[in-house]
Amino acid sequence: MFETATQGIITGILMGAIYALIALGLSIVFGIMNVTNFAHGDFVMLSMYLSFAVGSALAWDAVATPLITAPLMFLFGIITYYLLIDRTLRQMYVVQLAVTVGLQILMRSAALIIWQAQPRALQYSFIQGNIQIGDFQILTSRLFSAVVSLIFIAGMAYFMNKTWAGRAMRAASDDLGAASLMGVNYHKTYALTFAIGSSITALAGGLVMSFQQTDPVGGIRFGLLSWAVLALAGLGSLPGLIVAGIIVGVVESLTVSFFDPRSRLLGVYAIFILVLWLRPRGLFGRR
Amino acid sequence: MDAEPILKVADVTKKFGNLVAVNRASLEVNRGEIVGLIGPNGAGKTTLFNAISGLYRPEEGTVFFKGMNITNWLPHKICKLGMSRTFQVTRAFTHMTVEDTVRVGAYNRFNEKNVQDKVDQVIKVCELVDIRKRVCEDLGLASLRKVELARALATEPEMLLLDEAGAGLNATELATFMDLIKKLNQESQITFCVVEHVMQMVMGLCQRIVVLDSGEIIAAGTPNEISNNARVIEAYLGKRAVHARNQ
Repeated sequence: MFETATQGIITGILMGAIYALIALGLSIVFGIMNVTNFAHGDFVMLSMYLSFAVGSALAWDAVATPLITAPLMFLFGIITYYLLIDRTLRQMYVVQLAVTVGLQILMRSAALIIWQAQPRALQYSFIQGNIQIGDFQILTSRLFSAVVSLIFIAGMAYFMNKTWAGRAMRAASDDLGAASLMGVNYHKTYALTFAIGSSITALAGGLVMSFQQTDPVGGIRFGLLSWAVLALAGLGSLPGLIVAGIIVGVVESLTVSFFDPRSRLLGVYAIFILVLWLRPRGLFGRR
Repeated sequence: MDAEPILKVADVTKKFGNLVAVNRASLEVNRGEIVGLIGPNGAGKTTLFNAISGLYRPEEGTVFFKGMNITNWLPHKICKLGMSRTFQVTRAFTHMTVEDTVRVGAYNRFNEKNVQDKVDQVIKVCELVDIRKRVCEDLGLASLRKVELARALATEPEMLLLDEAGAGLNATELATFMDLIKKLNQESQITFCVVEHVMQMVMGLCQRIVVLDSGEIIAAGTPNEISNNARVIEAYLGKRAVHARNQ
């Protein structure tokens, strides 16, 4: 019992750091642009397929594929912003919802046509294997992915607080009109924000592909997990996002350890609903 | 002074549905002037400011700044050309520190390498040194007014639109604020257009005053001329006040 719980918590913490990274992309797009991207999970799915394609074609390790997939997703983010998202910003909220749900369906269908329905996985990763600590096992790939995720989130915090682009993004998030009147080009700032949000999914996709397979509907899980993490964390706190990611990861892992593995998202949804009910701003949210 | 006005607003109309908020308003501001834009509540002053600074697109009319037609330009382009502003209800970046808020304005002209000098200079001029590390949402109104002014100054404007910058300030704060505006006008040659209800500030600061009522410009002149103008008195106090004054 104790061993099972401890093992579940360790696994959950590692997965939680990766969930925090996935939710970071959603968080900056929602927090800065006020855009509810329902296709975010499918961006992760697309990134995983791109990781698979690059890894297969160049015989690269999954964790190295973001070197190519991140710029590709950055470009995809910019194109998506200017073609779709920008046109929804001055429309009713329901238009934005319809457009991102439509994008979600489009991406799933495209993945199904290109890669067919069967799951795809890369054959080998240099971080395969386990680390044994006492009675507990840690998957090296998950440990590596969690560490990279945390380092990236810290880097993102630095970017947001210490660079010109990061400050412009925060200013636009606080008051878009005032920021524009102070010289902030909101088109460029929003395009950059959406592109960064998209390229974060490329990093997350590469990391997840080192220990997991992907399929055309794999984005549903990542999308819902991202929303659960974001709802728990609230907007505007990167440490909060990490803590929320870890809580979600641990709850999911313990659900798998003690109940039916098919009910893995049940506890996560319960948290999601409870937080929205009891504390809509999330545990750490500023707004 | 240059012969050509730095700001020329020609027949600008702004409507919200059937409501005409600004109706064929025209005004000129010469380089180096401090011009006041006054009028009763709902006269269309802030709407006109919004149309000038690019927040609203006017249905009719043109806005020229430094000789260029900036009608329908995006706000950041107008800011780059040299116009900045403050707001009636303060709109400092609530989750950012005072220093970072000012820095966002300074990025309009400076890059990462040399932005700090500008930020330090503006923070000193606006007397924000003691609170530079504080988050804007924790500040009082007087400090927020100064932060907004500092942020606008950091963009290095040639013209500044101040929207009720004196509102809510006590007598001491108002006097300090007016001294600062005069200093900036004289030493930095910044042109000001000031929307204001605080008559002490309008009369003590402005060389020329333009009066807006129900979206239309009803008078323009020196503070003395405006304070004796019958249409202005009527707009503010009603016809009976004009009648009583004439008796």
